[in-house]
Amino acid sequence: MEFSTCFAVRRIGKKVEGDRMDILLVDDSRTMRMIVQRAIRQAGYRALTVGEAENGAQALEKLQGQKPMLILSDWNMPEMSGIDFLRQLRASENKVPFGFITSESSAGIKELAMNSGADFLISKPFTPEDVERALTPILGGC
Amino acid sequence: MVTEVSVNMLEEIVQSVFITMMGLEVSPSATSTTPPGKRLTSFVQLTGEWNGAVMLECSEQQACQFAGRILAMDAPEDVDDDVRDMLGELANMIGGNMKSGMATGIRLSMPTVMDGSDYDLRVCGAKVKNKLAFDCADGKFWVTVLSPGGEQIPEGKRRC
Repeated sequence: MEFSTCFAVRRIGKKVEGDRMDILLVDDSRTMRMIVQRAIRQAGYRALTVGEAENGAQALEKLQGQKPMLILSDWNMPEMSGIDFLRQLRASENKVPFGFITSESSAGIKELAMNSGADFLISKPFTPEDVERALTPILGGC
Repeated sequence: MVTEVSVNMLEEIVQSVFITMMGLEVSPSATSTTPPGKRLTSFVQLTGEWNGAVMLECSEQQACQFAGRILAMDAPEDVDDDVRDMLGELANMIGGNMKSGMATGIRLSMPTVMDGSDYDLRVCGAKVKNKLAFDCADGKFWVTVLSPGGEQIPEGKRRC
């Protein structure tokens, strides 16, 4: 059963269709969203539908009625930063796995991210392998 | 005056960003003068325990080449919002990694991008501390660190 699920996930590739959203990707940079989308596909998760938001506030709206498997977020964004977005999520008892992809990668930032409920932090610049290493424990490594 | 180690750190950061995100090897170049003509400039500011800015400059054509490489597609013929966005992200990565190698208590701004010709970008109260040129297969580009006179970049734990 688990193998079948993973096989399906890795075989078919598509963007968000309808209301389904497996991963929510939050970044104010369109090109960075494109790069991360490609890295997710290269990591083998081609069947997962990826929703996009430009900042934390927009992401909170997109999460209405949604239960994604993972949220990937930038740190520095207008309107609502990634860390404020994460804090609001956790304050509302939302325990969705959450990872940062950010150039803010100092030890202090990592500590703040983890203490606020993040599961991982990928530092920019990153490779598709970095993304795969972070996503596999959460999404499965088949 | 930026310390020698910090110059090395900056070179390592720039090389790491370009090779990781684009598979593009870059190397420091002796020429630091920016030629006239149409170009793009992206920059981020750092404020707090250390105040300054990091600028990335290149020609329009080179920015389009970078965009093509980083997005794994044909290079756009003209500068568009994706090209500007991409150059801003590169400056953001350089500034963010620079920040990571500094003391704590420094904030990183959102990137700003300018394009055109015959313009001169000035950050109020800041002077050019270092202007580094880099060579790559797509040509030459420049990374400049600006800071108020006399301040040195505080060094913390280096990432690269």
